[in-house]
Amino acid sequence: MQLKRKQSSLWPLLLLLSALVVAAPAMAGSDAEAPDRPSTDHADTQKKPSSRSPSDPNPLVDTATESAAIEMAAYDDTDHVTVFTPSIALGVENVNGGSLHANYLVDVVSAASVDIVSTASRRWQEVRHAGSLSGAYKPHDFGVEIGGSVSNEPDYLSWGGHALLTKDFDEKNWSLYLGYGFSRDTIGRCGGLNDGCTPFSVFSRDLLRNSIEGGADFVIDPASLGSLSADVVLESGDQSKPYRYVPMFSPEVAPTVAKGASVDWVNQNRNFERPLEQLPLSRRRYAITGRYARRIGSTTLRLEERLYDDSWGLAASSTDLRWVFEFGRRFALWPHGRFHVQKSVVFWKRAYVSGLGWDLPEYRTGDRELGPLWTVQGGLGVKWYVGHRENPEAWAFTLTGDEMYTAFLDDLYVKQRGAVLGSLGFEGQF
Amino acid sequence: MTARTFWVPVFSVGLFSLCTGCAHVAAYDRGRLARPMMTQDLEGPAAQHVLAVHEGATGGGSLSESGCGCN
Repeated sequence: MQLKRKQSSLWPLLLLLSALVVAAPAMAGSDAEAPDRPSTDHADTQKKPSSRSPSDPNPLVDTATESAAIEMAAYDDTDHVTVFTPSIALGVENVNGGSLHANYLVDVVSAASVDIVSTASRRWQEVRHAGSLSGAYKPHDFGVEIGGSVSNEPDYLSWGGHALLTKDFDEKNWSLYLGYGFSRDTIGRCGGLNDGCTPFSVFSRDLLRNSIEGGADFVIDPASLGSLSADVVLESGDQSKPYRYVPMFSPEVAPTVAKGASVDWVNQNRNFERPLEQLPLSRRRYAITGRYARRIGSTTLRLEERLYDDSWGLAASSTDLRWVFEFGRRFALWPHGRFHVQKSVVFWKRAYVSGLGWDLPEYRTGDRELGPLWTVQGGLGVKWYVGHRENPEAWAFTLTGDEMYTAFLDDLYVKQRGAVLGSLGFEGQF
Repeated sequence: MTARTFWVPVFSVGLFSLCTGCAHVAAYDRGRLARPMMTQDLEGPAAQHVLAVHEGATGGGSLSESGCGCN
């Protein structure tokens, strides 16, 4: 993360997106049978007539279904990190099996977390832009997809691509897929005396990532779907944060460092040297994910379990549950719960010990997400379908809110973190 | 036995069992499966990003490595 001071504000963009969310139904006109409801004359997915003359015996028919979605999300936590994320997604799908999707989002991050305070730095703000584009073609039971993505912020550039093959079997009762992805990140550094950024040509680190994912989707019975997937990610490069300084302690003091020890206590009792974080230069990640969805009356139960292990010794389990209740064809509401638990990487220590003469541990980190922790999350989501009565699901508002609590089990500075995440979205097909 | 050497056969056997052990459901009998809530993504890009940052085990994609606000 860069330490640059506040830059130009994106509030005008955020306000514009918010206005679009509110105004979109009104722009669609009104429904004659429900004047208080937005019209969705363009929302059905029937084939649209062409602009040719009615006398044309073979009129062109637009068989494409276009879609668009915008979302405004906000995140805030007790560690003084705030993020606003407006995003937009566009898509077009044709009955011949071709499709094209594009996404763009902006992260506006403002942070004064304890990590920043502990280094006597000031609150910083930065903006990240991320976009992706993908195209797929699946005329029958075999399909192929390719795509690319790019993410940019002043001190970090990431770009990558992926390819995916899918094949349906047994009248689409089950499908297999296999994908490969590659990305290259360039990690730089901002801040310092002039508050500027060091050019990548002067200082940067590269992180290469190769990933393979394969799995299957299958119909279990007339009311249930399932999927099972595995992914392997191979990372190569130095992903140590160039801003993260790790306090060192003498062998006598280290055992006395308490969980959640304050910034002041650490600064009074640590050794003079405070080196930068150093992580291993390669990492292999493995994960297995299972998903289950079952239709029960007018409700849908969705379960997901992800098991994770990596070459740094971090192992984890993430369990996610949603139960969607539908009220007529206009409303859906779902409670959401999630529980994540992980053990630390093997080189994790609450208090690292350094010896005389800059004798440091080979690997050292202060990244709490590499330590032992558990997180419980709960929230609600609501979807309001505002499409035409023949196809109400063609247009929809979505409102979600989640609260998260994380317990850090063996960390300096903090023992817990609370966070809230909310989003408002609007999507449509036309 | 490491976790990985345990998971590979478990995943393979599970995948084979699930793909071959499920009942054949005819296309005309999949009305309930076609409901949007069965497969629709109910999590926006921001929520996915937050999870990628909060959970050290979730990462792997480019989204998880930048813009995390975590210094």
